[in-house]
Amino acid sequence: MRKSIPSLRGPAIVLAVLAFVFLMAPEFYTNHSVLLTMMTFMGLAQGLNLLYGFTGYLPFGYVGFFGTGAYATSLLVTFTGLPILVCVLGGGLAAALIALILGPLLRLSGAYFSIANLAASQIIYFIVANEDLKSITGGPYGIKIEQVYAPHASYLTMLALLLVVTALAAYFRLSRFGLGLKAMNQDPVSAAFAGVNVVRERLIVWLVSAAMAGMIGGTYAWDLSVFYPSAVFTLQISVFAIVFALFGGVGTVIGPLLGAAVLYMLYDGIGVSAPQYFELIYGALIVGLVLFLPNGLMSLLTRRRINVL
Amino acid sequence: MIKALKKAWLASVMTAGLVLPGAAMADTATAPSVIKIGTLYASTGNFAIASKGQYEGLEYWAKEVNADGGVFVKAFNKKIPVKIVAYDDQSSTSTATTLYNQLITQDHVDLLVADFGSVLTSVAVPLAAEHKMLLIDPTGSGANFFTQKTNYLADVSIPSSTVWPLPLAHFLLDQHIKRVAVIYDSNDFDASQAETLKETLVKGGVTPVYYHGVPTGETNYNVLLHTIAARRPEALIEFGYPPNDIAFLRTLSSSGLHFNMTFTIFPGQLMKMMEKTVGAKAMAYTYTYPTPPLVATTDTTYGPDTATFVKDYTAAKNEAPNFLNVAGFNTGLIMQDMLGQAPQFTQLSFHQALMDMSGKTKTLEGEFKINENGAQLGELFSVAQLIPSGDTNKIVVVYPEDKATGKPVYPAPKQ
Repeated sequence: MRKSIPSLRGPAIVLAVLAFVFLMAPEFYTNHSVLLTMMTFMGLAQGLNLLYGFTGYLPFGYVGFFGTGAYATSLLVTFTGLPILVCVLGGGLAAALIALILGPLLRLSGAYFSIANLAASQIIYFIVANEDLKSITGGPYGIKIEQVYAPHASYLTMLALLLVVTALAAYFRLSRFGLGLKAMNQDPVSAAFAGVNVVRERLIVWLVSAAMAGMIGGTYAWDLSVFYPSAVFTLQISVFAIVFALFGGVGTVIGPLLGAAVLYMLYDGIGVSAPQYFELIYGALIVGLVLFLPNGLMSLLTRRRINVL
Repeated sequence: MIKALKKAWLASVMTAGLVLPGAAMADTATAPSVIKIGTLYASTGNFAIASKGQYEGLEYWAKEVNADGGVFVKAFNKKIPVKIVAYDDQSSTSTATTLYNQLITQDHVDLLVADFGSVLTSVAVPLAAEHKMLLIDPTGSGANFFTQKTNYLADVSIPSSTVWPLPLAHFLLDQHIKRVAVIYDSNDFDASQAETLKETLVKGGVTPVYYHGVPTGETNYNVLLHTIAARRPEALIEFGYPPNDIAFLRTLSSSGLHFNMTFTIFPGQLMKMMEKTVGAKAMAYTYTYPTPPLVATTDTTYGPDTATFVKDYTAAKNEAPNFLNVAGFNTGLIMQDMLGQAPQFTQLSFHQALMDMSGKTKTLEGEFKINENGAQLGELFSVAQLIPSGDTNKIVVVYPEDKATGKPVYPAPKQ
């Protein structure tokens, strides 16, 4: 028990800093959309980190869960009139349900898993955007939930989700459960021999990661309130979440948060100040990352044997 | 007594000295040095070609008015230069969301103009309403936006897509064409047109023999065309975006199939580009919506007529304008008229000015007419046919009769 107390200090500080920064930020910077989108990508990078950082499964189609959550939340708002927070929770459950259906994909590994997951996300997209489902999903004509538009509430909800997903990452990082995940990431057979229930634990992480993406997607949709399927199923969302997580360093708690914050601020800064150089600067940065920091920013510390959360 | 008078006089002079300059300067002190117009454009991605065309038209308008000393702003009773603050959203809705917010909350623009099309406009609609800003919407014509009364949205340079095909439907009924096939892309822009067309035809006693949606990315029309041909339609209407129209016309040309009438949207907007990619021969006798500058408006009540605009634009840019340049320029013109009429420099006053202009203003795009939901009901497109003329095609307006410049060639001869 004594040993576990110091280990909680790190996560508590990270959570407190996150909460403080994003609660105070609107006082100094009024572009609510930038702050909310930054939290969205920090949350997604962290959600992806839960899966990729701890199990080694890289979900190229992570946006499928995000879009599912966005649409499930919107449909619950439209057809049930339930309180919006219940609808967001429903978005997470819907994404987890899709993840459960796609559970057999976990039998694949490496690039095969990534590509199959990507294909699955596109299937979900085409189903949602299908003309014949116009009366339910709005099909290609998009969906509108203006009746619940409340930017301040959606901002706070996104912050709460960011804290939850970060707390989960900290749990994975510090708990026996997380150690089991790391063991199966390195060698699933040995991990199974050591008593780790490989299938069950992998499935749990898969579902949790999907549910988080779903709830983040639901909150994002709540904030947009008028959107087309392409806005929440664009592959750019997956690519950004992956790049941001890798830039910071997967398998850590701080890495994906730092990666997403730094790169998103840079993305936004270049977009506003020098859009003509956007692709050049961003591309060069990613090439540099792959060449010199393949394990992300956090490796600068871990190389020097500095223990990071 | 004299002392008291002196005191009173001094006090009067001092008071006047303090108050009068303030009163005299009230207008100039509150008038901004420039009118900031915030907008987005896409330099890359799906909407780049169209978005840049629209943006270039708006930029051209700003340059022209600034050369003339700026726009007349009634609220300040003087001309003020305009400054365009623009960011690149790269055709991404998430980037567009943050940049629209940037324009509103950081740059504090006076007027907010949306990027091209419904997708990139959609994210600005709730943001503008939240910040109580009037969103000037040049080309976002999605039916979804205009479902309720609003003071914060105005579609200014393109009719709401639900009304585009009305003249086309009436043309088909007038021609007594009974067998109509409709193929459309499954997106807001195209499907809402297909729905209006079908509804109007059915009211006129014509039920389409084929009515089918395809994904927006569809480029393989071979099987679809043969399926449609099996229904023996007299007229085949295809609603798509430029890549769809190009693929459709190419496939039709190489398929050996022939229909008495074929309609697509974009030859009337991007004629030169489409002739280059599809070939003039493959486009011959195709019907389309003719748009400015391919059709001319001469009796404008505000701004230049089409011929003057084409001449000036071509001289300034060394290239002839297309419809999207016209749409961008027209957006500027409508804002210019609005600023010239709004008695106060507030968003609500701007909106009221637009409502007052509705039905009374005619620009090079035609009649400006919006409803209380912000939808554009004027600027209606006619129906035209591309008639071969040497190595190219010329646009002949065939409907409605009061705008017609020639008779339709129906049935279209085999090429």
